[in-house]
Amino acid sequence: MSRSPPLQTAPNIDVGKSITRGDWKVTTHKRPILNSTEIETMTTTLGISPPEMIFGNNSVEVTNERLNWSISFNALDALELVDKSGESMLKVSYSEAWQRMRERVHEDIKEIVKPYDWTYTTNYQGTVHNPDRPFQQTGSEIPFEKLKRPDPILLFDDVMLYEDELADNGISILSVKIRVMPERLLILQRFFMRLDGVLFRLRDTRLFIEFETGEIVKQYQAREDTYANVRSGLYMHPPEQIPSLLRDDGFIAERLPVIGIERERVLVG
Amino acid sequence: MSDLDHAISLLRSCKPIPEPAVRELCYKARELLIEESNVQLVDAPVTICGDIHGQFHDLMELFRVGGDVPETNYLFMGDFVDRGFYSLESFLLLLSLKITTVYGFYDECLRKYGSANVWRYCCEVFDYLALGVNNGAVLCVHGGLSPLVDSVDKIRLLDRKQEVPHEGAMCDLLWSDPDEIDGWGLSPRGAGFLFGADIVKHFNHLNNLTLIARAHQLVMEGFKEMFDSSIVTVWSAPNYCYRCGNVAAILELGEERNGRRYRVFEAAPQDSRGMPAKKPVADYFLVRVYSTVWAVGHLLLTFSSNIMFRG
Repeated sequence: MSRSPPLQTAPNIDVGKSITRGDWKVTTHKRPILNSTEIETMTTTLGISPPEMIFGNNSVEVTNERLNWSISFNALDALELVDKSGESMLKVSYSEAWQRMRERVHEDIKEIVKPYDWTYTTNYQGTVHNPDRPFQQTGSEIPFEKLKRPDPILLFDDVMLYEDELADNGISILSVKIRVMPERLLILQRFFMRLDGVLFRLRDTRLFIEFETGEIVKQYQAREDTYANVRSGLYMHPPEQIPSLLRDDGFIAERLPVIGIERERVLVG
Repeated sequence: MSDLDHAISLLRSCKPIPEPAVRELCYKARELLIEESNVQLVDAPVTICGDIHGQFHDLMELFRVGGDVPETNYLFMGDFVDRGFYSLESFLLLLSLKITTVYGFYDECLRKYGSANVWRYCCEVFDYLALGVNNGAVLCVHGGLSPLVDSVDKIRLLDRKQEVPHEGAMCDLLWSDPDEIDGWGLSPRGAGFLFGADIVKHFNHLNNLTLIARAHQLVMEGFKEMFDSSIVTVWSAPNYCYRCGNVAAILELGEERNGRRYRVFEAAPQDSRGMPAKKPVADYFLVRVYSTVWAVGHLLLTFSSNIMFRG
């Protein structure tokens, strides 16, 4: 038999960016999705199958060597926090009908293979390296006024960590945006999930760093609503626009009630 | 030049054809497909292709690598549309090539008439698309096997002219996935089956097959053989969604029973595609950021979904 030829892959090019401001170094890595060997390794590490589009070699990193402080946003650490007990498992909209039909014809097939949260919902807020200076709860907001100044943007990037189309039942996506200005930076990591006919979910982590003072403020926000609620709130929009609106995380985010919020701060300077 | 040739030449340059032509094309294709059985016998040599997802320029690259129609005999295992920018052009080109290869130079008019909904015509055609093709030794199917189907003959009995149902054998053939398990398993999603090596080997043995070729799942390397080469996933959309960085593959089956050759290819070069302007995300980001600063009144409302600044 003529077996498969040696595996060929696209050039593993990193199109990430990097910038240094004083002691602060910001780096993004953007590479292709994981290959089969890397996926096997990750599957073993996690104990679950990773999402369909897994950008396991992508990351956003902010490092201050002098202060021995750094934070990284990456897919593996985010997926470590996905529920693997099967306790918070959602089901696709037609699951009940499917199960009833299935039980009639194959009573013997009962076992759910490796139950886990296959929507890959995560409350990941980045991986911090510095045990000496932990984040503390705070009432402080991210200083939005400073971010609204028309300062030049020295670096902008949008880095995908993972994406899954939930077997054509919607979308799950985790991505990180970063914006670096001369004196500060802002990161938004967003998890956005739409399970058709069932649920919308949003998990935002915003991270603000003031370079000079070493003040770091983090805000984590969870939003969620049923699909039916969101859908019925769109009655004023023309029907042909609805499908694209339901894919627009920025548009949907505004319409989801906040179900949880955490604010933390640390001074590393 | 016949209308069909004209349509093909427009579609080959990724130009949309007029709506009446779409209607005529879909109607003709449906007539052809309705005549085909669920399990269509295809003579080798044949080249097996996986998902395309509307990546038109990469489909052209596929034809460049695998040979043009009708010199090369192709079999596409589905998912022609969605995600890419040129679903319509890709799907209609494949349809029109199907028609020419069946009818040779088919000179019938694709007359212009009536205005109707292009999308609906195409969907009607989807309902008729064949589920599986048996190459004597190879079964090609979009998703995988079904616990309701233990023989190729049982696939022949399914009614495929319908919207894809959420349960039953047809649903399984389209959506089930192989996995490292024993026997059959249930997907954690609450619907759908997974099947293990023993299932595949038993099915192949029973039906005198050497291979099940399927598509449906993204593979970084373009193809992935599993279970001692008894099943393969073929993926034919390179750099999926224009961002995954994966290569694509097609599977060439030779005339001898076990002749397999995978041809791996990359995305079409950037200059070959008149890509729609990519959403300038950085600029967009800036506009939104600055708008909140400079804008007053109504613009604040307009930009109220600003992802960076609204808590």
